[in-house]
Amino acid sequence: MNNSPTIEVLNLHRSFGETKAVQGVSFEVRPGEIFSLLGPNGAGKTTIISMLCCLLRPNEGDARVMGHSIRSDPLDVKSVLGVVPQDIALYEDLTARENLTFWGKMYGLRGAALKARVNEMLDIIGLRDRANERVGKYSGGMKRRVNIGVALLHKPKVIYLDEPTVGIDPQSRRNILDSVVALKNEGMTVLYTSHYMEEAQELSDHIAIMDHGKLIACGTHEELVKLVGQRTRIDLTLNVEASRVLGSWQTVEGVARVSAEEGTISVLVEDSNRVLPRLFEAATRLSARITSVDIREPNLEAVFLHLTGRALRD
Amino acid sequence: MKALDIALKDMTRSFRSAFAVIFMFGIPLLVTGMFYFMFGNIASGGEFNLPKTKVVIANLDEGGPKFQVSTKNIPGGGDADTMGELVVAGLQSEEMANLIEVSFARGAEAARAAVDRQEAQVAIIIPADFSRQFADLDGKAVIEFYQDPTLTIGPGIIRLILNRFMDGMSGVKIAVNVFLDEADTQAYALAGQVVRQYLDISLAQTENLEEVLLDVRAPASAPANDSAESPNLLLRIVSPIMGGMLVFYAFFTGTSTAQSILKEEEERTLPRLFTTPTPQATILSGKFLAVFLTVLVQVVVLLVAARLIFGIQWGDFLPAALTAVGTVFSASSFGIFVNSFLKNTRQGGVLFGGVLTMTGMIGMIGIFAMNSPAAARLGDTVSLLVPQGWAVHGLLQAMNGQPVTSVLTTALVMLAWSATFFAIGVWRFNKRYA
Repeated sequence: MNNSPTIEVLNLHRSFGETKAVQGVSFEVRPGEIFSLLGPNGAGKTTIISMLCCLLRPNEGDARVMGHSIRSDPLDVKSVLGVVPQDIALYEDLTARENLTFWGKMYGLRGAALKARVNEMLDIIGLRDRANERVGKYSGGMKRRVNIGVALLHKPKVIYLDEPTVGIDPQSRRNILDSVVALKNEGMTVLYTSHYMEEAQELSDHIAIMDHGKLIACGTHEELVKLVGQRTRIDLTLNVEASRVLGSWQTVEGVARVSAEEGTISVLVEDSNRVLPRLFEAATRLSARITSVDIREPNLEAVFLHLTGRALRD
Repeated sequence: MKALDIALKDMTRSFRSAFAVIFMFGIPLLVTGMFYFMFGNIASGGEFNLPKTKVVIANLDEGGPKFQVSTKNIPGGGDADTMGELVVAGLQSEEMANLIEVSFARGAEAARAAVDRQEAQVAIIIPADFSRQFADLDGKAVIEFYQDPTLTIGPGIIRLILNRFMDGMSGVKIAVNVFLDEADTQAYALAGQVVRQYLDISLAQTENLEEVLLDVRAPASAPANDSAESPNLLLRIVSPIMGGMLVFYAFFTGTSTAQSILKEEEERTLPRLFTTPTPQATILSGKFLAVFLTVLVQVVVLLVAARLIFGIQWGDFLPAALTAVGTVFSASSFGIFVNSFLKNTRQGGVLFGGVLTMTGMIGMIGIFAMNSPAAARLGDTVSLLVPQGWAVHGLLQAMNGQPVTSVLTTALVMLAWSATFFAIGVWRFNKRYA
């Protein structure tokens, strides 16, 4: 299997006037993986996607998509790409079938092949029975499905999804996330941008965290968490005073620190699976009963906080 | 091929918009239709029905030497014993019935009083010695014409009729004088025949008085062919208006269709188009082609619809086609040009309300000023400052049957406008999306 990177980003720079939107960003995306660009609004994610789509020309640096340079071979880059823009970009006064047919033509499909692919795509996005209705009459979720369908018409090798879940209901969001996983399972390489760390955490093989136009961390979820060295936090409540168990729990093997605040005891541990049964045993010995448990694994939110000093949603 | 796909997509969107269709086809035809029905009383056969002029006649003529005049060609016919009766018969003829309502007064004062009381608009007083003066070779036959000074059209028509009549009579008198001077005494018996022939010819010329009286000009410019084939009066009025509407709304369509470039930018479909393997030049060409084809469809439909609905004659095929093509090019390129200066569609309101309406009105000044030849000439000149004016000018030239060379010159000027607009518009859009 060819393991050369599908996308290779090399020291990209882009400024808008005095604003440096992207500053020396480099990363690689391997074939068939989901790679997420995570960062707050204004971090430079969409600017990178725009440069990788050849919509914006970098001030410096280059990127290669399936071996094609975004600087010298923009049409070749575009022909292997499928792009799902952040906003729904469809013709609302045309039907779903007319939209798909038009965009298929723009990707070079013609005749019977185009017709067959449009029907196939209508089946995939589940809109075959409403294919002849104008898109303007669709719900937001249905529009999103057509929006993604357009990008998949020409069976691209690489697909970019730029914040596809912004402003949609939980059910549609779930559908989109499932679709992204399905695309990966079909062997497609996915470049995904989001400012929702849960999405990146759930979907991604690799995650690049961006802030102020710079890439501040890149790796798998585990690698990023280790980078920060955070421990799992377990929040517990008891049917007795917290002070009754504090001393005992501090001596439990694997516990790094115990603190209590407003009736909730927070315990920092290395491995929650191993430590949690010991905490139950200790509480039982002291005739105390644990009434609630909340395990908080180290997450990307914490990583971002650690690296920037700010919360991801700031 | 992709450019055509983009153009067809844009056209589908345009023609699906009820608002756009109404503006493209409905409004121009509706406005013309309003004028058509406004002038509806001249719709049937192109007749123009002025209100009748009330004329009171005081015929005091006591008669004089009789001529054996046949009155078969004198409007009104019948025998006339005096010249005064001949005048009265003429004014009471069937041909005059649509124009004049005649009544009689016993004397001159009564006739004048009728006008003063506004019971009549004109008083015609035929003096007692009218026939005698006419028969006297050195005499001077005069009819008193007394009119309401606040009125112009009705009295003007009556005055014109009388002038024609009197001119005819004067001609007879001169002919008789010449005949009597030249002929020997044996031929005097033929004098009556001379009079009759001269009078017949002279008066026959005034048979179709309505045509003589109503010198109705075509708006904007005098008709080149005033023959029987020229369109009737209603069409002379409505045709330039339809032409003006066609041009005015073609420019609106050109501009609003070209605005789809900005609209697609705001709808984010244009950036998405740029992510497809379609060169920018192809995408913009498709957008421009859509503007051209949409205006072309509009112009062709309006030309045909106006012909079928109102019976408007656009002139010979070649001049009309040249002008139509020039109009399509200039309207579409003007739309591209103007939109290339806009940042977004919100600025379009100012564009439609200001630039298009203003230039469109200037382009039609000649049509609005059609009733005043001097103003029409000035209007024609001013209108040529804007592309709409050239398009209107070309349509009027084609309608008035001017030669292909004249129309071709106008079409070439329109193409020059178009090339300039298009070059600037394309340059600005390319720069914008580079």
